[in-house]
Amino acid sequence: MVTTSLYIAGRGFLYKFDPRAKLFTLLALTLLLFLGSNHASLWLLNLAVFLLALYSTNFKQSLQPLKTIIFLVIIMILFVPLTYRDGTVVIKIGNFTVATKEALFNLNLLVARFLGITYMATLFIWTTKMVDIQLALRWYGLSYSGTLIVTLAFRFIPSVADSFQMIQDAHLLRSASDSTSSKRRIVDVVPTVTAALVVALKSIPYMAMSLEHRGFGRDNKRGSYRYLDPQFGLWLHFLIAVVVIGVAYFAFNIF
Amino acid sequence: MIEISELSFAFKDYQEGNYKPIFENLNLKVAKGQKLLILGVPDSGKSTLARIISALIPRHVEGEISGSIKVNSLDILKIEAWELTDKLTLVTQNPQEQLLMTSLVDEIAFPLESLGFNQKEIEKRVVSSLKRWNLEEMGEVNPQETSGGERKRLLLATTEAIDADVWIMDEPFDDLDYKYKNLLAKRIKESDKTVVVFASRYIGEYKGVFDSFGLIKDKHIVVDQKDEILKLYEQESERSFVTTDVKLQKLHSKTLRVKDLKIVHQRFSVKADNPFTLNAKDFYVESGEVVALVGPNGSGKSTFSRVLCGLDPYLDGSISIDGKVATSKELNRNVAYLFQNPDFGIFLPTVEDELSWSMRHDKQKAKKVANEVASLFHLDLKDNPTMMSYGSRKHLQAAVYYILERPFVIIDELDSGVTYAAAYEIISLLRLRGAAIVIITHDQEFAKSLATRQYVIENKEVIEKGEYGDN
Repeated sequence: MVTTSLYIAGRGFLYKFDPRAKLFTLLALTLLLFLGSNHASLWLLNLAVFLLALYSTNFKQSLQPLKTIIFLVIIMILFVPLTYRDGTVVIKIGNFTVATKEALFNLNLLVARFLGITYMATLFIWTTKMVDIQLALRWYGLSYSGTLIVTLAFRFIPSVADSFQMIQDAHLLRSASDSTSSKRRIVDVVPTVTAALVVALKSIPYMAMSLEHRGFGRDNKRGSYRYLDPQFGLWLHFLIAVVVIGVAYFAFNIF
Repeated sequence: MIEISELSFAFKDYQEGNYKPIFENLNLKVAKGQKLLILGVPDSGKSTLARIISALIPRHVEGEISGSIKVNSLDILKIEAWELTDKLTLVTQNPQEQLLMTSLVDEIAFPLESLGFNQKEIEKRVVSSLKRWNLEEMGEVNPQETSGGERKRLLLATTEAIDADVWIMDEPFDDLDYKYKNLLAKRIKESDKTVVVFASRYIGEYKGVFDSFGLIKDKHIVVDQKDEILKLYEQESERSFVTTDVKLQKLHSKTLRVKDLKIVHQRFSVKADNPFTLNAKDFYVESGEVVALVGPNGSGKSTFSRVLCGLDPYLDGSISIDGKVATSKELNRNVAYLFQNPDFGIFLPTVEDELSWSMRHDKQKAKKVANEVASLFHLDLKDNPTMMSYGSRKHLQAAVYYILERPFVIIDELDSGVTYAAAYEIISLLRLRGAAIVIITHDQEFAKSLATRQYVIENKEVIEKGEYGDN
């Protein structure tokens, strides 16, 4: 069974990196990705993040974020050049300008940023347990209810994805003897998605019931089973975060 | 301890637009320390009553309620569910509905954190309850990656960790294997808690556990001596379906055979050093026969089934049909798999749509066949599957595969949540066309009464355990 688990057990420094410092690094690097326009630095950062994903998990797993967004990347490649009509023509079919130098420049920038953000956010979620994300968000001042909503949403998504997978499997077994055309197969996606939505919607009241039954809403002070306990102290982790961000900052040369 | 007086409850029926009564002037008293088993045929209102006592209905499900319910003198109709966390614990029939967190440890810790316990106390309770239910090595595993039985054990471990005075349990023995059924029976019997267990059938493990017995009948609860209740229950469960005179026809003869199969299955939330593996040296099933596949919780029964019907890959070995190695597509076409949860297999607005779907290119034939099959499986063509009862959804799921005429059918925990009578009927109907049936069950009595042979999963191996005897 394909289980869409958010946290992926793996190896390496990222698993030991304190989630508060990791979250700070993620946000700072995301900002740099938006501000930076140095193409070589953008792709270098992407390569570093990909290698980190590869080291932390495995080759198949490290390609997963790319697989998820590949359709959107193709759409970008097809349509972004058409939105930049002025500038030096690079590709031309007859009288029609397919791509200009400026268009390719912007396309490269967009794709690199999109890939970078996707990989960094995915890597953060893969290497950080949901309870640790919750504790980090609380450390940054978010209320318990707020952090619970965020983490439950992240838990709910894979649970719905699991149901979708089961429904898709059931659908596959029912339609296996059909000599279906591609068009038919696309049409048949609709009932599968509908069934997944029905299962997802049905699960919402159950989740609410379970939360209340498990004491969410009580006015006593809440206990905490988990604590963040970074190796060698939190300050060291933040120092590492600052160094990583600093190196990236100079690499982007955004002054 | 629990006192219900003149309870009436009616669900909002969204199809009809009116309210459908489930209970009318129901009365029940459960004394401190009492162990009460309440039987009821599927859809008699067991889960609804369990949730009403737990203050979750009608808060989360629209309905009209009147009467009074008191737990430890607390008026359930006037309090919020979270006020009961340390006083009453509910175990639902489908454990998936109660899971909130991303590891077993955090699932158990969540209610303890809500109750404000300190870390030391939470750790003590988490460790001891995990150990009791033999889950200590799975503490960091995501519950989504566990089997149905393991999830049920997680809920039972959570119940023990909270240590409330009242345990309300809806089909708690479902999904558990023999070992854990006995453990649960022992825990209920030996505890000083007030325990109410709702069940849709009487199984051998209940013997000597309960001191009082009830039956939900005609929107009331009848409490009486065990023998009287069992007699009444027999009458009720026979009444809940119409028997079908089944004549077994062996229309075709096919054999599904597995040779030297090796399956490797990875859990993502824990390290890959020790992945789940399963081997099957020689497994076969032939047209017309019923074979049982049994094994402890988490042993890989569902994983094996998914591989048999071509949904998941295998590492080594072969699966063949009539001596020819089958591709995953051929397995998809020949081996049906009735998931434990019928909702995964049905997805259209009406029963007629569901039954006609596989013949959607020939509307005339579809209508004729849908009519015949609906009558055979006691279904109403106009019904909306999502609004139908659990038992009816199970019938619909089976009816869909009956139409598809798959030569091999795997049925996962059919006996869970339906009466024996209904389960026998579904299997009999599926055998009408000579299908070979593999039933996955934890209920040895049920397996014995149907299957001619059994396979057991032991120490990561699927092994044939011989014949049950003539059936």
